[in-house]
Amino acid sequence: MSWINRPLAAERRRIARRATCLQAVWNYETLQGVGFAWAIAPGLDRLYPDPNARSERLLAHLERFNSNPYLGTIGIGFALRLEQEVARGSAGADQRLARLIKAVRSSLGALGDELFWAAWRPALGLIGAAAALMTGSLIAALGYWVAYNAFAQTIRWRGVRAGFASGAGIARVLQDPFWSRASELTKSAGAVACGAVAGGALLAARSGGTEGISVFLITTAFLWLAGWRRGSRGRWLSPSVAFLVVVILLSVVVRISAGVLP
Amino acid sequence: MSLDQAVLLAILGGIVFLDQWPLLQSMLSRPLVVGAAVGIVLDRPTDGVLWGAVFEAIYLGVLPIGVARYPDAGLAALAGSAIALSAPVGVPPPAGWAVAVALGTGAVGDHAGVVLRRWNGRLAVHVREQVAAGDLSAPGRAIAISLMRGAGLGVVVSAGALTVGLGGLALVVSTPWSGPLSMTVVVLAAAAALVVNGTRLLVDSRSRFTAWGVGLVLVVAAFGLVG
Repeated sequence: MSWINRPLAAERRRIARRATCLQAVWNYETLQGVGFAWAIAPGLDRLYPDPNARSERLLAHLERFNSNPYLGTIGIGFALRLEQEVARGSAGADQRLARLIKAVRSSLGALGDELFWAAWRPALGLIGAAAALMTGSLIAALGYWVAYNAFAQTIRWRGVRAGFASGAGIARVLQDPFWSRASELTKSAGAVACGAVAGGALLAARSGGTEGISVFLITTAFLWLAGWRRGSRGRWLSPSVAFLVVVILLSVVVRISAGVLP
Repeated sequence: MSLDQAVLLAILGGIVFLDQWPLLQSMLSRPLVVGAAVGIVLDRPTDGVLWGAVFEAIYLGVLPIGVARYPDAGLAALAGSAIALSAPVGVPPPAGWAVAVALGTGAVGDHAGVVLRRWNGRLAVHVREQVAAGDLSAPGRAIAISLMRGAGLGVVVSAGALTVGLGGLALVVSTPWSGPLSMTVVVLAAAAALVVNGTRLLVDSRSRFTAWGVGLVLVVAAFGLVG
């Protein structure tokens, strides 16, 4: 039975690679369940030589799971560690695994969504788009892509090991101040960048004369008002529809009085 | 746009659709990157990056959180950038039509995502039955099937958007949908969208509002004085 106690290093690497497909069979019933089961399967192959036992454990992992795609690997690593206990035959280990994974998944989703979707992606997207608008250079797009993945894919790749190492102490990983600090720092840096973009855009608009300044300020005011929330009825206009309205109105102005805009 | 380029763009649509949520999430599907890729395919990388940045600004605030539905920003940027770049070099792009086609494609892409998720639901039921019957390779097969379906949906949506968008160009000639709006004005409008959407997303406290102001003052002081 010594194989049960091995650190499963090779399997963890395979699991990390497979975790890129965590959402491949995302559906409204089990969410990321199939991707989770497929990702953890190399570990189950090692832990359960008996196909019937493996099939039973694989079925258990086909249950509902949902998490942020980059932080999901922490949940898989954690499940693999607890799966070792199940394979050892510890009493009640399978129920404990099911209970803990249910408790952990929503925390992983909330932490990851806050860090990646609400902070890292918009802050980098803002900087990348501003650089692209200023330079028209491919380097802006490439830099955005490389910077995003340098952080996100590293977290994803190292997540299996972190989750596996934590085992039942997963709460310590989730409560690590790193997550909240990273989100706060990224949002603050994004806010500075956003102010800088506003300043840069004002200066660029100034070079287009009064017309340039007018286009920028009126468009900003319109988009801001259009995105205002009206209680429970949501925004007046979504940002994309508001932008379409701006483009059409500006085109009408150009048609009515040619040469008025820069 | 040649047939070869259109085929390449449709294939790119398959990759973009997969990267949006089923596979990897490497942000190849973000408008900034998609616009650059469209520019490379159409041999106008600078214009492609500019239009990618325009769509990035529009879709900056779309957050894929939980089971929320959201437009497919990647496919939207692909179709919109391709339509915008259909105008010859030096001619004002059909900006209104490009943005309208992008919005429509984003909505269709969202529906395609819902269709794929429903197909996935049926697939997940089959996987459970097959694993219960001892077939341990069923999850892997399901993933391969779903990815192929996703790529196919992306190709179909992109090809349809390009067909409608390019075909519709003839109908919108001499209307405000075809411009004429100089790229300078489009870039200024995009910068305004970037500032508005970025502020709404990232400035959520008094300290961040101060940070926003610091960024503004620093740039204006540094470059305004130089200028």
